[in-house]
Amino acid sequence: METKPRLIVLLIFGVAVLCLSFIPIWQQYYPEIPRIWTNEALKDWELPNANPAYSVEPVTEEFYYALPERVIYKTYPVYHPDYEPEGYWEWLHKQDAQIVFDASQLKTEEDWIKAGELLFNYPIDTLGAVISTQHVRNKEFYAASGMPITPDGIMPFVQWVVAGKGKVYLGNLSCAMCHTRVMPDGSTITGAQGNWSGDKAFAYALESDGASERAVQGITSFLFSSPWVKGDPHGKLLASGKKEIIDAYKAVPEGAFGRQGTSILYPPQAPNLIGVKDRRYLDHGGLSQHRTIEDMMRYIAMNQALDFLNFYGDYNPIGLTKERLYNGQPIIFPGTYDRHSDAQLLAIAKYVYSLSPPENPNKTSALSEKGKVIFAQQGCVTCHTPPLFTNNKLTPADGFEIPEEHYNKYDIFDISVGTDPGYTMNTRRGTGYYKVPSLLGLWYRGPFMHDATLANLEDLFDPARLKDDYVPTGFKPHDVKTKAVPGHEFGLYLKKEDKEALIAYLLTL
Amino acid sequence: MKLNILLLLISLLWWENAAFEKGLKPIRFQIKNAGITVDGTLPDWEYDIQWNAKKLSECHISGKANPATIDTGIKLRDKHLQGRQYFHIEKFPAITLQSKKIVSKGKGKYSGIFDLQIRDVIKEIEIPFTITSKNSQLIFTGEFTLNRLDYQLGEKSMVLSDDVTIFIELVNYKEAQQP
Repeated sequence: METKPRLIVLLIFGVAVLCLSFIPIWQQYYPEIPRIWTNEALKDWELPNANPAYSVEPVTEEFYYALPERVIYKTYPVYHPDYEPEGYWEWLHKQDAQIVFDASQLKTEEDWIKAGELLFNYPIDTLGAVISTQHVRNKEFYAASGMPITPDGIMPFVQWVVAGKGKVYLGNLSCAMCHTRVMPDGSTITGAQGNWSGDKAFAYALESDGASERAVQGITSFLFSSPWVKGDPHGKLLASGKKEIIDAYKAVPEGAFGRQGTSILYPPQAPNLIGVKDRRYLDHGGLSQHRTIEDMMRYIAMNQALDFLNFYGDYNPIGLTKERLYNGQPIIFPGTYDRHSDAQLLAIAKYVYSLSPPENPNKTSALSEKGKVIFAQQGCVTCHTPPLFTNNKLTPADGFEIPEEHYNKYDIFDISVGTDPGYTMNTRRGTGYYKVPSLLGLWYRGPFMHDATLANLEDLFDPARLKDDYVPTGFKPHDVKTKAVPGHEFGLYLKKEDKEALIAYLLTL
Repeated sequence: MKLNILLLLISLLWWENAAFEKGLKPIRFQIKNAGITVDGTLPDWEYDIQWNAKKLSECHISGKANPATIDTGIKLRDKHLQGRQYFHIEKFPAITLQSKKIVSKGKGKYSGIFDLQIRDVIKEIEIPFTITSKNSQLIFTGEFTLNRLDYQLGEKSMVLSDDVTIFIELVNYKEAQQP
């Protein structure tokens, strides 16, 4: 009789210890999934447009959460026709759809990251937003677009989505599409500045499909029009006709991509996502603040084509009115008729945060150490501050007056370095600023500058680039033969050996 | 607060009557940036001195410098330093220094208590200086260190030192002009 109460106490204690020991595991199994698309959170998340009257008005919380959640099917690699295993295409058509994302099955942080990787590579479009089945199954496509492939013949930027037996669709618009780099040795770096030749591929698609002038103008307008901008450069491009527009797509080099809301006149360098966890602003213009993982989730949600539904003043890129947008009828346009669940977004964000660079083959040397000193002497450290090699600030572009209230709201470095203001002044994503880029991972990146105008670091330090007769080694607009690459006039007049040392150092970062 | 305003008014009155002369040698400064010493100058500055080594209580030293002329060897950096996050030259076109008390520290050695105004911050600082005589000229040489953050010059940085060392040399004050 005396031992019974003791046993009960011991039992209770034991159960309590067991329960307590499960708490951290339970928390790890089921991380809190934030509701990211709230009207409140959207109020001040993005910076205003360079012309604040045309700042982003995203879809409402009610609209967003009424969209169906994306079903994530198993995907399969896309091969260059010369490399496709025999019978692969037929085999794909015999496969059943497999749903591969189920948040309830994610037990550990590693599970979430792994699921995030799967989602990172998952194409959200099977309507042929950029390219379609007939393109990637045609050898000409690869030659015409200069599309990089791996040594196995895989084109890692798109995937086959199997949505059921016989339902094999080419999937576009995964994160991996723009953020995968095939290196010269054939290896791939996930999350790096991608080198998918997307605009050349799109130009090929438009030409080979025999798109009409009106169609070419229409899709180009959806992607890039910003009619409120002074001089309306995109309006002029549209008016120049089909050939000129297609030439403009062809002019965008690998490593840059005219994503929606940006431009093929000022194409943004594809961002390097490795290390993005530490960056305070996203997009070259610093459009989106990145204060928490929720901001990253919002960015992913917005940028996988939901921004086609944005209003900029009374302008919507795909010609919607607010009445049409909110009348309850689905809008069948790539990326806008469904959405990632918050759990899916969390998984992608966790994966993106987990990205790490491959081992740098450029080791520290006497030359690079000399370059390190030059880096400090030249004042590079002020903006490209170690250890992130960015001060995480926004610099105004030429022609942009910093509004007084911005000084207290954002991280401003209030001097323009004089780079081409086109992207940030003339596009839907433009804020009037450029964010100070991190220099980490320069060795696997390129072309350089926000608009990918310089192919090599050597070009950055070449004073000839400031002259009008310069032929840009990276992006060169389709309608010019020569063009100065202005701004960031640091290190231009260093001695040759000092430039070599500085570049040697930069390549070790 | 009231005392500050009073001092400011007195200073302004005195300032009105001061007879400034151009500084011949630029004011120099040094600051560590990523472990490297950055040298800079403020070439445009002027000063006024009322000096009598025997009556230090009647001595007065003042100066003002034009931050728009800051020169660190990198033009874009200079432009940034002129901007609102550093000297904000549009709003604060002058840096001023005014002595409040000067004491002897031995032969040719002195120490002065000064009000240094940068932007809209006035802080009292102590500047040790020496006076030497050469070719009928008195040469005042002073060196002091300030914390730039005290004067709202930029923000805390992982690479840029808070401390700036300033070197001032006056070479054109003639002994004959002494009262």
